[in-house]
Amino acid sequence: MPADRIELTTPTGRDWEPVIRMILGGIADRLDLGFDELDDLQLAVERLLAEGDPEDPVTLSFELLERGVRTRIGPLRDTALAGALQGPPPGPGELTLPRILSTVVDSYGVESAVDGRLVVRLEKAVRK
Amino acid sequence: MPPVSPSTLTDRELLKRYHEAGDASARETLVQRHLPLVRSLARRYAGRGEALDDIEQVGAIGLIKAIDRYELSREVALTTYATPNVVGEIKRHFRDKGWAIRVPRALQELNGKMGPTIERLTSRLGRSPSIAEIAAEFDTSPEQVLEALEAGSAYAPASLSVGPTGEEGDLDPMETIGSEDEEFERTDDRTSLEPALERLPAREREILRMRFEDGLTQTQIADQIGISQMHVSRLIRRSLDRMRDQLT
Repeated sequence: MPADRIELTTPTGRDWEPVIRMILGGIADRLDLGFDELDDLQLAVERLLAEGDPEDPVTLSFELLERGVRTRIGPLRDTALAGALQGPPPGPGELTLPRILSTVVDSYGVESAVDGRLVVRLEKAVRK
Repeated sequence: MPPVSPSTLTDRELLKRYHEAGDASARETLVQRHLPLVRSLARRYAGRGEALDDIEQVGAIGLIKAIDRYELSREVALTTYATPNVVGEIKRHFRDKGWAIRVPRALQELNGKMGPTIERLTSRLGRSPSIAEIAAEFDTSPEQVLEALEAGSAYAPASLSVGPTGEEGDLDPMETIGSEDEEFERTDDRTSLEPALERLPAREREILRMRFEDGLTQTQIADQIGISQMHVSRLIRRSLDRMRDQLT
């Protein structure tokens, strides 16, 4: 049976972040994620949304797994971002987007990077 | 003669050292000495839809302003002079930096209780509580909890970066408390926030270091710093937003 999935296409910009946070909150409740895990996931999504093109909408998909949630966000605009996210792990003492993501989610990766547009995958597991 | 420890000096002696000799350690001693007054005054404004931590932060700014503006020719105790400054700062905060959008009072109140409740549950459970567990504590629904948490985002807490004169660009008053942290290194990486890091207040830099360098959880940071987990969360977001805004 396919995993439950929620998909949302939204304009980028901070005005729309509450909508996304509420959806993430509902998913966290369904999965029994801890409050800090929810906050981590929201932070990861917010940081990636900040890389969206202000002129273009972004699509988020949330796949509810047995013990976690897989989130995809795209298209994001920056090819340099793909390089950074696909590169080696950040060194100690560097505060970069990969460093932030590797702290707040269990895994992340670039799923596609065509014509300078990429989709980023985030995975967050239930700890309890 | 051995040097005199600032902590043994009277308020007036410390004020003289600060205003006449520019002794920053005297100022810091005064701030630390009178933080209990700030906490006491801040508690009067608790339960109005904002975390006590935030109110205390605002009150501390009032205290610092009072120390900076104190005139040595005054024959008035610092506590007497500082009290209206602290209260005024807190009141101004509630008036000017209030809810950005209209949030029902019940949600504001629920949001205000959220931080202490999450702390209590975290301590009791030994882990961060789920939304359902928070809801059960309030005898309400998970949806109400999520709305109340989100309502907190509609609140614009006072900036900690207002300087002594309240003007933008002033040195952050909190910058003078605590030590510099030079552990982060600069990098040319496109996704790096490093160049903006140095402009953050020392405490916010320290929180980012603890979270993203040491890998401490928000709860662990909250325990170490002595503020709530929700406050840690807000500070991390605000710091990252400010850093990114500075770079774009």
